[in-house]
Amino acid sequence: MSLSLGKSADGTRRAPGVRLLRRWPLRRSTTISLLSVLIFLALWQTVPALGLMNARYTSQPSAVAIAFAQMLGEASFYGHAWVSLQEFVLGFVLALAVAVPFGALLGTSRQVRLILDPPLMALYIAPPLVLLPILTIWLGIDMASKVAVVFLGAFFPIIVNTGAGMREADPRLVRAAQSFGAGRLAIFTHVLVPGALPSIAMGVRLAVGRGVLSVVVGELFVSRAGIGHLLQIYGSALRMDRLLVCALVVSAFGYALTQLVRRLEDGLRSWRAEP
Amino acid sequence: MIAFYRRFEAVLVGTASLIAIAVAWQLAVDNGFIDPFFISTPLAVAREAMTQAADGTLFVNISATLHAFSLALALAAAVGIGLGVLAGWFRDVEAALDPFIWFKYSAPTIAFYPIFIAYLGYGLPTVVTVGFLFALTPIYANTLAGIRNVDRDLARTARAFGARPLDVFVRVALPGSVPLLVAGFRLGVGRALTGVVVAELFGSTAGLGYSITQHAQLMQTAPMMVSIVAIVLIGVALTQALGFVERKTDAWRVDAE
Repeated sequence: MSLSLGKSADGTRRAPGVRLLRRWPLRRSTTISLLSVLIFLALWQTVPALGLMNARYTSQPSAVAIAFAQMLGEASFYGHAWVSLQEFVLGFVLALAVAVPFGALLGTSRQVRLILDPPLMALYIAPPLVLLPILTIWLGIDMASKVAVVFLGAFFPIIVNTGAGMREADPRLVRAAQSFGAGRLAIFTHVLVPGALPSIAMGVRLAVGRGVLSVVVGELFVSRAGIGHLLQIYGSALRMDRLLVCALVVSAFGYALTQLVRRLEDGLRSWRAEP
Repeated sequence: MIAFYRRFEAVLVGTASLIAIAVAWQLAVDNGFIDPFFISTPLAVAREAMTQAADGTLFVNISATLHAFSLALALAAAVGIGLGVLAGWFRDVEAALDPFIWFKYSAPTIAFYPIFIAYLGYGLPTVVTVGFLFALTPIYANTLAGIRNVDRDLARTARAFGARPLDVFVRVALPGSVPLLVAGFRLGVGRALTGVVVAELFGSTAGLGYSITQHAQLMQTAPMMVSIVAIVLIGVALTQALGFVERKTDAWRVDAE
């Protein structure tokens, strides 16, 4: 009964039915998505209640909702969230400030690329999170080491995509600018930078996910405050309801920020496509 | 000579740059700019690597990590490609899975590790689960895109010659999705390695990540560096190998056309 690829393509011949068919799948897919989430929640709620699974390990949607309402009323929760947010923002802004200029250098100069590429690639491939223990030894167990981990996590996607964006600039545009007498600086500011913006935005979007992961992992590893610290506490106390609330808050934050950057990215892409 | 240099310029300059970093690191510590307690030195790391290689701990750690990594990747590939193919072919399956995939994308998987530890205990099962979850999404998403982006003209031609949906699936959609599938697999390799190593940092009793945590607690930087370098080298080797496979699969498709 599914609208498989074969069938929908078949439908293109039966012209009158096409419009109906095309309207149908959208509502159908949302219905199915909603149903599948509802079934999941219902199972999650009932299976522990029937004693088939231990609710201590899985918690229940109702318990999570209650825990969420409770935690929203606790001042300490906001304190921890604020610490994590500061770590994330500081590390991320630092990464942007360093990675974009270096990425530009990487994208425009062959020499720089040859020299910096191997060490960068080695660090890009290796998860920066493995440096966490050593960063903790250098910078202590408080905010500085988490800022550094966020910085490292966010730095590489941004620098790599900035470099790639500059390198893949349209050669016809560059040549056109040259023939109209543009200098290197003018080409850089008027052709390369605008051309690389969507790619930079893509790097930033990837960096958001890595940055959020880095804050959480950094705080889980060792910390005295932050959402990751809460995760650690609730995890060792087997308070799954509260642990899930923290995980959901972090997910929502990451999701919202990623969507925001995606909007920006789409905007930049269409703006570039217009002229 | 110049031709030789031209040909291998990237490799030569790259190696020189890595050697320069190592020398600068060694000199900075030797001349007292940095306390070796914080960062060790390349020579100390090399000596430590020799010791660990001689008594076998290095290989024990590497093989434990690689073992968990291959299990996680194999599981992620089986589940990710299976679900991806289903979701790519049947839109209803995609709709049913979509909310969970979106959640997976935005949730930091590692935040749930206390649950895995509660269920699976410290050690291999937890590590494999985290690596599996890390690698699952890119493999699933790319497989889905590969099946979905099947060449419409090819599919229509096949149907015009009497192919049934199953034929179209096996002869057109599956082969057509190979490049995207391989791309997803490459992303999955990186993510599985990250997942396995991070899980080893927290919830394991063996492996390179575990050895990093263990030595971090004793503030022994040289052995930590040995494990970190080993992880970097594994990552580089895997990426190179996959780049090779990817070029092969691309070449195969061009030939077929």
